[in-house]
Amino acid sequence: MADDRVIQPDAARASDDVLRVEHVAKRFGPVTALRDINLHLRKGEVLGLLGDNGAGKSTLMKIISGFQKPDEGRIVVKGEETELRSVDHARSLGVDCVYQDLALINELSVYHNMFLKREKLLRPLPLLANRAMKREARAALDQIGVNVPRLDVPVARLSGGQRQAIAVARTVNSDADIILLDEPLAAMGAKEGAMILDLVARLRAEGRVSIIMIAHNYVHVLQSCDRVNLIQDGEITFDRPTAETSVEELNEIVVEEYRRARMAANGSEGRG
Amino acid sequence: MSDVRTESGAPTRAPADPPQHEPPLQAGRRPTAGDMARRFLTLREGSIVVVTVLAAIYFAVQNDRFFTQANFENLLPYFAPFAILAAGEVLLMVAGEIDLSIGSVYLFAPFMFYEFNQAGIPLIPCLILALLCCAVVGIINGVFTEIIGVSSFITTLGMLLGLGGLTLIISHAQPVAMPGAEVTSKTVNVTHVVNGQTVTLPEKVNEIGTFARIFGGGIYSELIWALVIVVAVQVLLTLTRWGMYTIAVGGNKHGAAEAGINVRVTVIRNFIVCSVFAGFVGVLEAVRASSVTPDTAGASETMFRAVSAAVIGGTLLAGGEGTAVGALFGALFLGILRDGLTLEGVNADYLDFILGVAILFAMVVNVYVGRVRKGSGRG
Repeated sequence: MADDRVIQPDAARASDDVLRVEHVAKRFGPVTALRDINLHLRKGEVLGLLGDNGAGKSTLMKIISGFQKPDEGRIVVKGEETELRSVDHARSLGVDCVYQDLALINELSVYHNMFLKREKLLRPLPLLANRAMKREARAALDQIGVNVPRLDVPVARLSGGQRQAIAVARTVNSDADIILLDEPLAAMGAKEGAMILDLVARLRAEGRVSIIMIAHNYVHVLQSCDRVNLIQDGEITFDRPTAETSVEELNEIVVEEYRRARMAANGSEGRG
Repeated sequence: MSDVRTESGAPTRAPADPPQHEPPLQAGRRPTAGDMARRFLTLREGSIVVVTVLAAIYFAVQNDRFFTQANFENLLPYFAPFAILAAGEVLLMVAGEIDLSIGSVYLFAPFMFYEFNQAGIPLIPCLILALLCCAVVGIINGVFTEIIGVSSFITTLGMLLGLGGLTLIISHAQPVAMPGAEVTSKTVNVTHVVNGQTVTLPEKVNEIGTFARIFGGGIYSELIWALVIVVAVQVLLTLTRWGMYTIAVGGNKHGAAEAGINVRVTVIRNFIVCSVFAGFVGVLEAVRASSVTPDTAGASETMFRAVSAAVIGGTLLAGGEGTAVGALFGALFLGILRDGLTLEGVNADYLDFILGVAILFAMVVNVYVGRVRKGSGRG
């Protein structure tokens, strides 16, 4: 990987980083998911993360959100090096993630899902304040522009796009200021996808939260993000502001990687 | 009766036209009687309530001794203990696990109660200590299942056998008289008027202590405990965080963990509650009978009946859905069947056969109604 695009961690250091990931590695048994990840996120920035399936994007998201622990490396949240102990711990630091599988509970109602782990209670009673949660959930969904007719039905009954929107709304509506979106456009139709992109654009304009967004569509990334990182084979191999790159360049890199992988595979076949 | 007929007619119509029945926005349309009936029937516990009522009506028509106070009192022990056991099981089944060891815990608790009492400890502390022992059993079940990763079916099957064996060891396989449940009889002189003459005769009156009256000995003691516990579990499941996390873990374990729910704590505490309920029922039943026999085969059957009551009541074995009220009706349904068939004078050899068929029938109705319920939401 003696590539001139490899990023040196110190070269990219910036004083207004809300999140820094340094030399993070993660293995699952014999499989190396992350080799040596160096990544940083500035305040108010939207960072697009591109990469093939299996490149390690989701694993990285899970490490930053406290769901999995890295084997090596360090994570600095808002200037302080932290060992993220749990999802709750990461959330208490303002880091929250919309997972690729959405982490929605099919059997629970829409508003219970939206308030999962942030429930409102009828203090001093330990009972759920369902009416208040329903009201706030409605307000939050209206703000994003998601049309869900009934909030008291199980999310199992909603369409893929609605489910995705609810998962995104849940995170955006929390206190998080570092938001990780793992393929937020995956299950969306064109209209719903546009709604999520609008939301990201609005958050970007407000500048309060910083976002890392995984996406497959280069056009979306160039349109919604300030900067783009490419993850290949467990390493960040490309880091450039979106203004300085293009769909053609990104395409070329990926196609080149594919060719290299093909050649490597053919080579090993020939030897075997 | 006419209500019941319209209700049972509804589901046959439902699958054909759910989109018209439930448009996305229902504003401005007053629900008709048919709608209400359908909505009731598609409640998770709706079908078992209807099936239970139909069974009660059938036996009442067949036998005029069915709807009597005496028979109601006969019926109680057929269902109240199972309702409590099933309520605990529901809590665990909603979390996606099962506890087969409740049969042995049910047997183990009264013997622990007895042993503590033999050591000179008063009754109430004995009860608390016995229930603490049950809680430890629950913790062991939970640790094996959630932390070591053995499936709960296997963990609790092992516990069922092991704890049953331990109970035999502790008891030396001998029955014991339950402390606190002693019947004291005294002789009172009662005056009767016979053929115009007053006759005073000594009569024996049996009495039990306050402890026994509250914990199983009183006629309605078990019924009251059952109602209190079922309502408590229902509130826990539907209105508290505990219940919400339980549903979340049972419905989508990985997603629940990603959302930040502590899956281990959620499951283990449900194991504890389930075990404690089982131990409590064991003590209630032992006090009611005023003695307890280490009958491990009977204990397993008790467990199976409790699990059936929970499942018939509409709780999914797969987790994520369940209802304690349904479990109460499931237990009541099984109790009514057993009691009703006995009243009818059905040969004991046929009893289990008929019960088995009835359970299958009730489950078919449940599955069908469940399908209607899931389908009715689309649109």
